[in-house]
Amino acid sequence: MIEKIQQEITRLKGLGATYVDTRWYPLEEQNYLLMWNGNLKTTASSRESGVGIRVLYKGAWGFSASSDLSNLSALYEKAFDNARIAAERVTFPVRLAEKDEIQAQFESPCQINPFDISLADKVEFLRTMDEKLNQEGVEQRISNLNFMRKKIVFLDSEGSQIEKLITEVFSSLQVTGRDADGDSHERKFNLGRQGESRGWESIDMNIFSENAERIVKELNQVLVADNCPKDDRSVILLPGIMYLQTHETIGHALELDRILGYELAYAGGSFVTLDDFGKLRYGSEKLTARADATLPNSPGSFGYDDDGIPAKDIILIDKGILVGAITGRQMVEEANARARKRIFQESGGANRATTFYRVPIERMTNINIDPGDDGTLDDIVADTEKGIILDGDRSWSIGSNREQFHFGEEIGWLVENGEITDVVKNPTHKGNTVKFWNSLSAVGNESTWQVKYVDNCGKGQPNQIMQLGHGVPACRFDNVRIGE
Amino acid sequence: MKERILQTLRALNAYAVEKGYEVVIFFHEEDSYLMRFANSAVSLNTNEHLIRLEATAYEGRKRATYEMITDLNQIEAMKQGIDFAAEMVHHAMPLSYDPTIPTLKADFIDENGYDAELAKLSNEERLAYFNQVSRNLETEDLKLGGIFSNGTNILAQINTKSEYAQYFKTSDSQVTAVLSHQKLKWEVIAEQSAQKKTDLDPEKLNRDLTFLIEHYQNDAPQQLPLASYDIVFGHAATAEMVRFMNWIGFNGGLMKRGYSFLTEEEIGQKILSEKITLKDDPTILETFPQKQDFMGIDRNPYPLFMDGVFQGFIWNQDDADEFGAEPTGHTVMHNSLVLEGGEQEIDSLQDLVKQPREKDILYIPYLHYMNIVNPSQGLITGSSRFGSLLLKADGSVVVPYNVRLTQSLLEIFGEKVAWLSNKTIPYNVSNSYGARNPIALIVPKFIRVNDLEISHANDSY
Repeated sequence: MIEKIQQEITRLKGLGATYVDTRWYPLEEQNYLLMWNGNLKTTASSRESGVGIRVLYKGAWGFSASSDLSNLSALYEKAFDNARIAAERVTFPVRLAEKDEIQAQFESPCQINPFDISLADKVEFLRTMDEKLNQEGVEQRISNLNFMRKKIVFLDSEGSQIEKLITEVFSSLQVTGRDADGDSHERKFNLGRQGESRGWESIDMNIFSENAERIVKELNQVLVADNCPKDDRSVILLPGIMYLQTHETIGHALELDRILGYELAYAGGSFVTLDDFGKLRYGSEKLTARADATLPNSPGSFGYDDDGIPAKDIILIDKGILVGAITGRQMVEEANARARKRIFQESGGANRATTFYRVPIERMTNINIDPGDDGTLDDIVADTEKGIILDGDRSWSIGSNREQFHFGEEIGWLVENGEITDVVKNPTHKGNTVKFWNSLSAVGNESTWQVKYVDNCGKGQPNQIMQLGHGVPACRFDNVRIGE
Repeated sequence: MKERILQTLRALNAYAVEKGYEVVIFFHEEDSYLMRFANSAVSLNTNEHLIRLEATAYEGRKRATYEMITDLNQIEAMKQGIDFAAEMVHHAMPLSYDPTIPTLKADFIDENGYDAELAKLSNEERLAYFNQVSRNLETEDLKLGGIFSNGTNILAQINTKSEYAQYFKTSDSQVTAVLSHQKLKWEVIAEQSAQKKTDLDPEKLNRDLTFLIEHYQNDAPQQLPLASYDIVFGHAATAEMVRFMNWIGFNGGLMKRGYSFLTEEEIGQKILSEKITLKDDPTILETFPQKQDFMGIDRNPYPLFMDGVFQGFIWNQDDADEFGAEPTGHTVMHNSLVLEGGEQEIDSLQDLVKQPREKDILYIPYLHYMNIVNPSQGLITGSSRFGSLLLKADGSVVVPYNVRLTQSLLEIFGEKVAWLSNKTIPYNVSNSYGARNPIALIVPKFIRVNDLEISHANDSY
């Protein structure tokens, strides 16, 4: 197969293509189990294989994909023809940033292949969790396991050949209940990074049991709590919501294709302009954010992106100043040319496709916030006069240029004069992105830093769901509107 | 191709029967074309042809599914997929209720929604359409973006309870054309949903964009004061809100699980404005309907709200099995929602702008990134986008920076509804993360809702 692909790539180059690449997925498998109130509602496995072909011709992309490999030549011709037509409407001819010819292999850390574990063992895990969640106050209890494993062979016309084997494990627990008014409330636990590898060994019964107990207890606190007040105060975001704040108002805002207008017809743009790099005070001096695809054991670490660029650790915001973006080969060239200066030295290695039949686009890797020197969560609370601690993503809605946001959380704890007082229900917070990040007044130390996984980040047309990570500490922001 | 698909499914079914399996075999084929535009260029031109086969095996109360991407030449691999499902089901855990396996009583073939001319549009035709849409509109600062998506969708099903099969074939197209200002960052949009080639009308999109651009280039922009406004929603915003009502409103299973703002006690009660009549109407081809559900139940117009009175929940088979309800023919890929028009004679934005008015009106065509803040209260939030206008009482027009609405659907579709336009339009909300699944709603072109508060107002685009 590899030889056939190489022959076709060479053939299209002979026809005038300036660049050709192919992602061949010999195997992509998934196993998903969902238990809801003791019922194993979903027991599903899937298996896919196929190729996706990307052709650059006269500055325009063409793409085709199929699971039917019986006529590979026709598939390459289709991609070439799609590029040929696209080349009739080119305003900025696509150029690709330089890269080295790479021969490499990557395997994500996995001790125990989850696909070697019997279905009976997986069901038993969910049954045990369901029993633990089946407590007073809980009306709905949901637990799931989601395993993915994909083998990807990347070849391009620049001589690179990269083979990757990636294993992903996602799992979550959720409980919901209704308060005296009949309004439903929820509390969740999502598996994040635990240890150095991500196979069946991640499904640690002790960790899940502790968290099952915790979310049931917290749900019951919410069910009898008062509503969140509506006022301006400090908000302390725990990693369970801090990851989403980072994702939506730093991650998406700094995808270079969005900044350059490539998502304006759908997902939206960004308030960031090319002039802002090196100048814009995005946040307070306490804010340092990075796109770190080298972080061990996270879905945002994948060895090599779908341009064949090795994983990198890129600073996005350095002590509050915007300095970097989430980039791939095409966009850095276009951005530098449009800005008439070299903002980006090279691709940041963040061009990824969700599967063989989707085209790579700029996607988040691990968008992390560096831990700070404001101590533990207790230290931050003790230093807060009037505030609220927020945790758990319940709702999120962001302006089309990522300029403003509204988040709803699962639980809030009021803070008065350095002490946690009451639990409140229906907490929310909202704000303007830049003003909000500039109000960052405390960043927790390593003890508060957690890597949260995201298994469902949507972007692009046709839509693509991507897996990634966020390493974030607990953070405090001042004068934030809550309760609306 | 139809005969080959059905022959393949019958062969697989016969294999499953011979093996003693109880299996439902589901087939999905898509031939998808998408031309994407950005910065006035074709940024992506793609084609995917994919066949998915899903086998769900049953063993008493146990159920397991195996799905694969395959092609029709891979009959042995498909049989293996069925074997996998049958093997998996041994190890599944019994449900607390009896899952129903569909009993098809006859073959059901529906190709009425298929138009070969739309499905097989060429690259050249897609490009020509967009060139026509953007004629005389692009400048150094104003750049074209959007998509032209079209394709064929085939769904088919067979199961071991009978030899009969279902087969649905549709064509669809979704067009979005956006002109965005590179420096100021405003965007205006025109969209079209097509079920057949003759639905495509690039000139209309060109007219709509021309009208909006004129206002965005010439009228003063403004940050709106936080206050209550009389709002006219365009069809995209209305469709999005109705779609949310579909999730957290009249779905029986979600109601039982606590994710609905409606209760069983409210059946027969007036919940919304008497101007609101909402149905699931699979007779309308523009909604890409299924006229029979996957359980073999024939689908007919199904009232949800009549003059604001809640008629009842919809039940898919699995929820009906679990909660002891009667299935309502809603075991489908998607519903065919139709919000009936009213009496206001307004056909276009141009008509709305020209109309005399006693108060300022905020026109919101589109709600971006809507989400549910509190499902029990029907509380949603989202931001305006793509061409909002503030129509001043004195006849002038102001371009407002985007605003956020955080409101209950009960409030939006409640007594504050002033009028609905008499003209309706199909609005395409297809958003396929995985397999192609064309969805469109029929909604009034405009709805006016008085006295709605905005919760945030941007100070720039």
